[in-house]
Amino acid sequence: MPNYMLLLYDNPAGWRTLSPEEMQKGIEKYMAWTKKPFVVDSKRLGEDAGRVIRSGQGKPRVTDGPYSETKEVLAGYYTIEAANYDEAVQRTLDHPHLEHGGTVEVRHVYGT
Amino acid sequence: MTASPQTGLLLEHLFRHQAGRMVSRLARLLGPAHLDLAEETVQEAMLRALQTWPYQGVPENAGAWLFRVAHNAAIDAVRRNQVLGEKTEAIVSELTRSATVAPNDPDTEEQLRDDELRMIFMCCHPAMARDASVALSLKTVSGFSVREIARAFLADDAAIAQRLVRAKRQIRDQRLTLELPLGPELKRRLDSVLDVVYFMFNEGYAAHEGESLIRQDLCLEALRLGRLVAASSMAEPRVDALVALMALQAARLPARVDEAGDLVLLEQQDRSRWDQQLIALGFHHFDRSIAGSEVTEYHVQAAIAATHARAAGPEGIDWPVILHLYDQLLAINASPVVALNRAVAVAKVRGAAEALREIEPLNSDPKLRDYYLRLAVHGHLLAELGRRAEAAECFRKALECSCSEPERRFLRRRLREAEQ
Repeated sequence: MPNYMLLLYDNPAGWRTLSPEEMQKGIEKYMAWTKKPFVVDSKRLGEDAGRVIRSGQGKPRVTDGPYSETKEVLAGYYTIEAANYDEAVQRTLDHPHLEHGGTVEVRHVYGT
Repeated sequence: MTASPQTGLLLEHLFRHQAGRMVSRLARLLGPAHLDLAEETVQEAMLRALQTWPYQGVPENAGAWLFRVAHNAAIDAVRRNQVLGEKTEAIVSELTRSATVAPNDPDTEEQLRDDELRMIFMCCHPAMARDASVALSLKTVSGFSVREIARAFLADDAAIAQRLVRAKRQIRDQRLTLELPLGPELKRRLDSVLDVVYFMFNEGYAAHEGESLIRQDLCLEALRLGRLVAASSMAEPRVDALVALMALQAARLPARVDEAGDLVLLEQQDRSRWDQQLIALGFHHFDRSIAGSEVTEYHVQAAIAATHARAAGPEGIDWPVILHLYDQLLAINASPVVALNRAVAVAKVRGAAEALREIEPLNSDPKLRDYYLRLAVHGHLLAELGRRAEAAECFRKALECSCSEPERRFLRRRLREAEQ
């Protein structure tokens, strides 16, 4: 079965106004989603902006994270199984990340 | 109502209750003037949980994890923004100590309960308006968000947010502290705490469209706060009376509306849907409430609720006892609303004609004249006597008054019956 990567971008502002009760419900929904049978793997990325290495003239240039222009931060990823893009998208539509202003990018993993 | 303790992997309402405890603890360490900071760091900890637990799993002791992360966030914030001036290092070391206490230790539990109580007692300071006390208690001790408070009170978010800002300013300006008052001052403060808790309960209990979950939560939260006070050294029999009253009434919540969302009057409720755990809790506190010689309004109200709860069915309701209790209630609080409720018991014991005579003075009472409930009771008594045209007129007038949508549907039903 082909694999698809779901790249989860956070819009942290969306979470800030949640109540404790809503946060708990959110966690429970995320965890339930993560247990779905087609989920192969999931990882959370560190909250810092990270580093970006760009090729430069002569030697690579290292800078702090790429996010200066955008509010959205790549926060984590999933690998899921799906027959094709349609199914991958269909399976992702009820991901709780989309309930609070987040964005999910769906990409086919080449060769799977 | 008392739902199963486990929803998924987390205890039900864990975050909400933990938020209340953590805010109370941090506010004690940081000082109540920095309540905002306490709330922000608690929010920060929960946000961290939301961002990591779905990927890494729930930590073994979720409560302790939140506690530690909130404390660490507070330490960072205190060091970063230096609002505490020269006290910074002393408070940081207190925070460090507090962050690492064992969470299931009985002493720690007791200290945390004490923190919460102090917070409730500060929120209910008599200098504070009741609306402000209610909103502030819900926000700090109960872990409700502005939006949730607004929904529970059918108010808009901005109004509630404003109310909270003003309440917090009042804490700073009047230097309200988390110290518990002593002697007669403590008694007065307890009065105001009970008043706020009872008001919170009644707001949640009032029938409104949809019977939304948040309003039920409001009732249960009032009950939780009441129990917290009842279990403390500040407890007095009247606290137990209030807890009994709330528990016995909350027990009926599941039976109060039918599947169509329509109101079901107490007498017609399916008693098998009453929450037996809450009834048992109610009777437990009711028994304790009789300990002293003092008889408060809460005692009498609880006794009325207990009489209803004791009846096996609608025929088993001891109306003479209820009427007697209403007489007592009227002696303590001679309010026209109590008199109106009493009229229903009068009708049961001495007949509708007698009850109709007794509510006569209320019909011209400026407060009650255009009160839908007076018109509904008036119409009900007239209908009992077969005076259907007059009854219909009462229900029609009641429908012109302001009331909630389920109440409106109920009145329409009564109007149709009277018109048949």
